[in-house]
Amino acid sequence: MTADMRRSPGPSPADPRVVGGLDYSIDHHVPGAWHLRLVRSDVAAGRVVDIDTTGVESDVTIITPADVAAYGTFGCQIADQRVLAAEPKFAGDPVVAVVAPTPEAAREAAASIQLDYDEAHGVFNEFEAATASAPLVHTSHASASGDAAYFAMRPLDGTNVCHRFRIRTPELRGYDEPELIRELPPLDDATMSDAFAGSDIVVEETFRTPAAAHVPMEPHATTAQWVDGRLEVITGTQTPFNLRQDLAALFGLDPADVRVVAPAMGGSFGAKTFMRTEAITAVAAAFTGKPVRCVLDRDEVFSEVTRHASTVWMRMGATREGRFVAKQMVAYVNTGAYADCGPGVAQKLGYAGVGPYRFDHVAVDSYCTYTNLPPAGAFRGYGAMQSAWASERLVDMLAGELHIDPVELRRMNLLRDGDAFCTGEIMHDTHFEELLDDAAKAVAWNDGRDGKGVAIILKGMQTPSRAEVAIHALPDGRFEVRSATADMGQGAPEALTRMAADVLGVPPEHIVVPPPDTDLAPYDTRTTSSRSTHMMSRALAAAADDLRANGTVGHGRIVNDGGLDPDTGTGVASSHWHQGAAAAHVDVDDETGIIDVRSLYATSYAGRVVHRAAAELQNEGSMIMSLGTALFEELTYVDGQLVNPNLSEYNIASALDGATIHHRLLETPGAEVHGLGETAVPPVPPALGNAVASLGYHPCRLPMTPERVLASRVHPRQEAP
Amino acid sequence: MSWHMPTTVDEVLRLKASKPDATVVAGGTFLGLVIRQGLLDSDEWISLQNVDELRAFGTAGDLSAGAMVTHRRIETEPAVRRDWPGVAEAFGVVASPRVRNVATIGGVLADADYASDPPAMLVASRAVAEVASVRGMRRVPIEELIVGHYETELDDDEIITRVLVPRPTGSAAYRKLRTRSREDRPAVSVAAVRETGGVRVVVGAVSDRPRHYPDICAEWRPGDEQSTREVAAAYADRIPCLDDGRGSAEYRRQVVSVEVRRALMQVSR
Ligand SMILES: Cc1cc2nc3c(=O)[nH]c(=O)nc-3n(C[C@H](O)[C@H](O)[C@H](O)COP(=O)(O)OP(=O)(O)OC[C@H]3O[C@@H](n4cnc5c(N)ncnc54)[C@H](O)[C@@H]3O)c2cc1C
Repeated sequence: MTADMRRSPGPSPADPRVVGGLDYSIDHHVPGAWHLRLVRSDVAAGRVVDIDTTGVESDVTIITPADVAAYGTFGCQIADQRVLAAEPKFAGDPVVAVVAPTPEAAREAAASIQLDYDEAHGVFNEFEAATASAPLVHTSHASASGDAAYFAMRPLDGTNVCHRFRIRTPELRGYDEPELIRELPPLDDATMSDAFAGSDIVVEETFRTPAAAHVPMEPHATTAQWVDGRLEVITGTQTPFNLRQDLAALFGLDPADVRVVAPAMGGSFGAKTFMRTEAITAVAAAFTGKPVRCVLDRDEVFSEVTRHASTVWMRMGATREGRFVAKQMVAYVNTGAYADCGPGVAQKLGYAGVGPYRFDHVAVDSYCTYTNLPPAGAFRGYGAMQSAWASERLVDMLAGELHIDPVELRRMNLLRDGDAFCTGEIMHDTHFEELLDDAAKAVAWNDGRDGKGVAIILKGMQTPSRAEVAIHALPDGRFEVRSATADMGQGAPEALTRMAADVLGVPPEHIVVPPPDTDLAPYDTRTTSSRSTHMMSRALAAAADDLRANGTVGHGRIVNDGGLDPDTGTGVASSHWHQGAAAAHVDVDDETGIIDVRSLYATSYAGRVVHRAAAELQNEGSMIMSLGTALFEELTYVDGQLVNPNLSEYNIASALDGATIHHRLLETPGAEVHGLGETAVPPVPPALGNAVASLGYHPCRLPMTPERVLASRVHPRQEAP
Repeated sequence: MSWHMPTTVDEVLRLKASKPDATVVAGGTFLGLVIRQGLLDSDEWISLQNVDELRAFGTAGDLSAGAMVTHRRIETEPAVRRDWPGVAEAFGVVASPRVRNVATIGGVLADADYASDPPAMLVASRAVAEVASVRGMRRVPIEELIVGHYETELDDDEIITRVLVPRPTGSAAYRKLRTRSREDRPAVSVAAVRETGGVRVVVGAVSDRPRHYPDICAEWRPGDEQSTREVAAAYADRIPCLDDGRGSAEYRRQVVSVEVRRALMQVSR
């Protein structure tokens, strides 16, 4: 790393993203393209019995479920989705597609189509969905075969559970246990009684997190066309190669006959992962023989994919001296009508909920359950937020019972280098203690604890994963870096430029980074889980070596093995760990329940920073997003109907809300590059929750609206003077 | 679809008389949302952007603001901040500077949204709207102008041309309680304005229109804690509160009594 690269001034005034010069996928207009609109189900569950299209003009192409019946099912981890739904499974499920020469004509045609349903009972809550009497959203479970199904699925047939992830540390294995825990087990339950036997104090609680929206500024925008029998898709996506594979499977093509181009995205936060509007747009292009463009409206974006609502029940036992003995967790993870990557989220939620601590015994059951809500998928924090909310609030409850300082209690039990995590993997490169101390110091922990809270988390990176990059020496002396790493505003091209310049020993102006194009770039797992800068830093070093050895093109390829056994949780959860802490200092108005955030701090382990300004923005962005999660963001459904699909009714944090945040990137000389795109997401809600709890409240449910805060008051309110 | 750009009030009134269904556009911040959400569509639009008369502004006697005066102007104008601090405050806490730079005093009164800030303060301040049509001009107290959810007592051919706010004789307080983002609309708002011999307390954002109960206000004894609590409790009791994403009716009822009490304590000083 050269000194220059570290003194980064941030985006220059000529940065195309800043001056409006960047072409997002919504800006890509293919000449002659027709326009797609979707007619969506009004009911959350049922069957379409009639599609009345008599009001539609003759030059509009109408595509119904019957027209696409020949196409199979798809889905990144479970093949449970169809191009159009004859049996809609959530309010908003696309039933009919119309394709017209202009956007207005398409809109008009879609509005004139009438659907008639045979409505069925739906189930909406993740916990209720796992009960025996719940209506089944899908009658069978078929695991997907693509790269994104990177572990064995454990669907529980005859239930709404499409994946069960378990952790059982060695002494808890071999018991005869029910397939599905539908009632939270009592402490004297045979399986667990031994685990908690050594505990003097046991605490338990149920914690809830609602569905939430990603709110990317740019909606989903896709253009598809067929060129000489090949499918070409221009779309904002974090997953170009997964998409290529899934589209190829859908059309029975060789993956090489599908081209995915992923221009810069105007934000994603997980919303543009795996197959979204690409399948129906490609089908529509096949039907019409024309390029077809599909751009979602804001209200549609709210139901395209959401964050997993979850109910997390957790129990922790410790000795009187404060040594953690055992942890048990049962999580119900609401993946909505289609699994998407919910199984992966349930898994990561499962082990992240253990937290960065040593335990003698750990038992985790994390159930990914179908409901009749919009599908939930990747969301910045990827399940770790939901379980860290539970786990870090519970640590403070335990500290209260033990009369031990919450920071001290954490410090006593933190994972350190050489300790085994609950998965059996041996921890390395751990910085938890430093992060904890830093967070505590930021709120002057030792000068009085009222209104203060801390939280500390670990979060895994996509494992196994594979990254490849090619460096082409151009005739003019510059170097083109071809990779599938997508730009969603996190500054990926800039980071690639800096890292490539560094390994090649040339100035950054000599580096060119085109957007991902699967025809040109080598394979990459995907741009998720804060993995890209980390993985690409290593792949680029290998590619530069190869280039020096071989002339004009250098290839770099990095493969991380690992993965977890879904029944015991044994294996390698993450090849490197995202480590972060947060601290908050709040006032609570005890008559209105309003939380005033006096200060909010997050500290994330960065290893080695590649681009300081961009890295800081990632940390700040994570905090601001999570502040909304903590205080007010919630998708509200009534009988499966979303009642706040707009930004008046669904607030996100504003500049004023973020006025009191500050943060740090913890660096270590000579360390590896660490992902940091979401490290500050999970610790923020529990830090705030613990701060609120220190003032005599017991918040268990996100967001902590003023109303809920008042209702969670532990001691009766003193009449104010 | 046609878009009219008149330059005088007379022209606006003639247009409005001939096309009573036409939609008047001021700052467009409210209209933009309802059109986007498919709640409103119109074939005829009358923009007030080029009607300079509607931007007239004066503070010599009453505060006099043409219908097209922006929230930002009212918030920042030094004379308003000095002589009508409560009014400046109520306009200054609306949304964000981006919205306040274009939203207008005419628009916020005509849209009659229950969750707006300025109306409660304007009612408490005895503000009056001048309402004009080809038939003539009349003065309507804001208290009577807003009659319900998104409902005013304007006739189809009328527009608001000007708002007059008398010079305050006592102190004023405006309290905005937000339950979500700091740019959100109020969940509960309370305006309290002292005047000779009493106080006008108006509660906004909790029911279909700003609520003012002179009989309850008459019971208030400045600085007296007991009567302050009683007035606050009586407001909470009498207002039919609504439920929405910002808070339940029950929460609002509870907070109304807190915030009315606090507003009254503020104007006691
Ligand atoms: C993001 C956002 C946040 C907001 N937050 C708040 C908030 O916190 N507090 C708050 O109080 N408000 C808030 N608002 C509402 C905002 O203040 C109103 O939208 C605004 O005051 C309306 O004024 P306008 O000039 O834009 O009206 P327009 O949108 O142009 O018009 C509004 C309505 O009034 C009619 N109209 C306009 N002028 C006249 C006239 N002179 N005579 C007769 N009819 C007329 C129009 O036909 C239309 O029906 C928010 C709005 C947005 C977009």
